[in-house]
Amino acid sequence: MSIRIFGVVIFVIATLYTWNAGSYAITFGDVLGPTVFPVIVGIPMMILSASLVVFPSGQVDWPAPQRMWRQAAALAVLIGYTIVLRPLGFPLATFALIALLGIILGGAAWKAVLLGAIMAPALWALFDQVLGLPLDFLGSLFG
Amino acid sequence: MEILSLLGSGFLVALSPLNITLLLTGCFVGTLVGALPGLGPVNGVAVLIPLTFAFGLDPTSSLILLSAVYFGTMYGGRISSILLNIPGDEPALMTTLDGYPMAVQGRAADALAISGVASFVGATLAVIGLSLFAPLLARAAIHFGPADYFALYILAFATIGGIAGVDPRKTLLSAALGLMLATVGIDPISGVPRYTFENYHLFDGIEPIVALVGLFAISEILMLLEKEAKDRTKAIHVKSWLPQWGAIWKTRWAMLRGSGVGFVAGVLPGAGASLGSFMAYVVEKQTSNKKNTFGKGDPRGVAAPEAGNNAASGGALIPMLSLGVPGSGTTAVLLAMLISLNVQPGPLLFERQPDLVWGLVASLYMANVALLILNLPMIGLFTKLMVTPTWALMPIVAAVTFVGVYGLSNSVFDLELMIGFGVLGYLLRKLDVSLVPLVLGLLLGGDMERNLRRAMSISGGDWGILIASPISIVLYILTAGFLGLSVWLAIRDNRQDKNAHLADE
Repeated sequence: MSIRIFGVVIFVIATLYTWNAGSYAITFGDVLGPTVFPVIVGIPMMILSASLVVFPSGQVDWPAPQRMWRQAAALAVLIGYTIVLRPLGFPLATFALIALLGIILGGAAWKAVLLGAIMAPALWALFDQVLGLPLDFLGSLFG
Repeated sequence: MEILSLLGSGFLVALSPLNITLLLTGCFVGTLVGALPGLGPVNGVAVLIPLTFAFGLDPTSSLILLSAVYFGTMYGGRISSILLNIPGDEPALMTTLDGYPMAVQGRAADALAISGVASFVGATLAVIGLSLFAPLLARAAIHFGPADYFALYILAFATIGGIAGVDPRKTLLSAALGLMLATVGIDPISGVPRYTFENYHLFDGIEPIVALVGLFAISEILMLLEKEAKDRTKAIHVKSWLPQWGAIWKTRWAMLRGSGVGFVAGVLPGAGASLGSFMAYVVEKQTSNKKNTFGKGDPRGVAAPEAGNNAASGGALIPMLSLGVPGSGTTAVLLAMLISLNVQPGPLLFERQPDLVWGLVASLYMANVALLILNLPMIGLFTKLMVTPTWALMPIVAAVTFVGVYGLSNSVFDLELMIGFGVLGYLLRKLDVSLVPLVLGLLLGGDMERNLRRAMSISGGDWGILIASPISIVLYILTAGFLGLSVWLAIRDNRQDKNAHLADE
C-alpha cells in the first residue's frame, strides 16, 4: 500500500511539475528554452510512478507507533535547534541538542546531559577558536 | 614516462605541510568513521564536506582530505567486522563471514593484520590502475560532444542502481527526482526562475551539499531511532596484536585475485565497493574453497573481500575524475564537493588542472602507506574508540553536521532544508528507493540540460543530432541493454519470490 501511495504522490508532483514547465516558455535565447528539459524529465516520471501504482513492488515495514514518536521527538529537537541557534548562541543550543538527542536515542539522562555539557563547549572551542570558523558564543538574546 | 613526471609533480603538491596534515587527519578520521558501526563512508564524507568549505580549503586540499577519509573508511570497516561481528560499513559485510570466526578462534591479530595488508594491496593496486587508466579514459572522452555527454548521463542514471536487487523503476524515479530538483533555481541560459515559488533562497538552486548531508546523515539518525537500542556485543578481547607474518604471506594470491575483481567492479558504473567485496569473496570461494573452510575462519576469506573493497573504491575514482560520472555513492559525494568548488571533473580536468588530479593520485599513494601504519601498530586505539555507544555518537555527528552546513552559508533556511531532505531520505530508504541516483541527478542535472540545449542549438532544433555520432549510439545501446537486463532480472526475481511463496503455503 505504501508503495502505491508513493506512486500517487510522485505522479501528482510530476504532473504539476510538467504542467508548470509550460509557463516558462520564452521566445528568445536558445532553441529549446527552459521548458523542454523539465518536460523530458516529467513525462517518464509520470509513466514510471503510474506503473508503480498499478504494479507495486516490495513491502515496507513501518516502525511501531512508539518508535515513530521517538522519531518525531528527534525531528522536533532538530527543528527546534534551527530556531534557537541564533537567540541562544552555539554552545547553549548545542548542549540542548546533544543532551536531548542522547536521551531520545536511549542514553541515560545524566550521561547525555554530561556529554552535552562537555561536548558543546568543546565543539565551540574546536571550531571557533582552533579552526577559525566563527560561531556565536552568546546569542542575540544575551545581547 | 609522461605519467611518471606528472606523478612527480603531483608528489610536490601532496608533500606540502598543509596537505600532509590534512592527509594524516583524513586517514585517522576515515579509519575511525569506518570502524564505528552506524557511520558509513557516505555519511562520513558527507558530514565533512561542509567543514572543508567553511575552512576555505582549496579544491586540491579538500579533495586530498576527503579522499583520505574515503580510503580510511574502507580500511576501518573491517575492524568492527572482525572484533564485533558487526560490519563497520556496508562494504565490510563480507569480512564478517571469515573474520569473526577467526577472532573467535583466537586469531584476531592475524585476521586484522591480513585484512590490513589486503586493504593496502587492494588500494595500492587500484591507485596504480588509476594512474594508468584514468588519463587514457580522459583522452578518449575528449572527443565527446554535447550530444554524447547527454547520452553518457542517461547511461549513468540507468546503471547507477546496479543490476540486481532493486526494482529498476525505483532507481529511475530516484534519478528523475534528482533531475527535477536540479532544475530549481534561475535557469542559467535564459535567466528565467523555475520552481522557486517566489522564495529568494531558492533562486540559486538547491545546494547539493545541503541536500546530501540531509539525505544521508539526518536520515541515518531517523533510521537508528526505529531500531531497538541494543547493548553492543562486547568486542573480542585480544591479548597480543602481533600477527604471524607467515599467515599473511599465504594469502597473497587471494589478495591479488580480490584486488583484480574489485578493481573491475569499481570502474564499472553502479557497482562500488560493496559489490567489489562481494564479487571478490565469491570468486575466491569458487577458486580456493577446496576443503570447505570458507565461512569458518579461512584467512583467504578475509583477504579477498578486503582487497576487493579497497580496490573497488580506488577504481570508482576513475569514471568520477575522467568522465565526471561517479560510479558509487561515495564518489558521487566527492563529485558534489568538486562541483560546489567550481571544479568540473571530466576529460578537461586532466589538462586544465593537472595539479589537482596528480596531487590527488600522489596523496592516495601516501594515504595507503599512512593507513597501513595506522591500521597495523595502532590498531588497539581504534578498538577502544570503536565501542562508543550510538546514543553518544549520533548527537555529536548531528552537531557537527549543523556546524558544517551553517558555516557554509550562515543560513537557517539551509538547516531547515537539510532537515527536510533528511525526512525525504528516510522515507525513500524505507520505500527501498536508493538515494544515490537522486544525488547523481541533482549533481548532473544542470550539466545534462546544458549539454542537451547546446546540442540542439548546434543542430538548429533537429532531434536527430542526439543519435548522430557513433559514440552516442553505442552509449544508447549499452543503456538499452542494461535496462533490458535489469528489467528481466527483476521480473525473474519476482517470479521466484512468488514461487517460493507458493511453496511455503
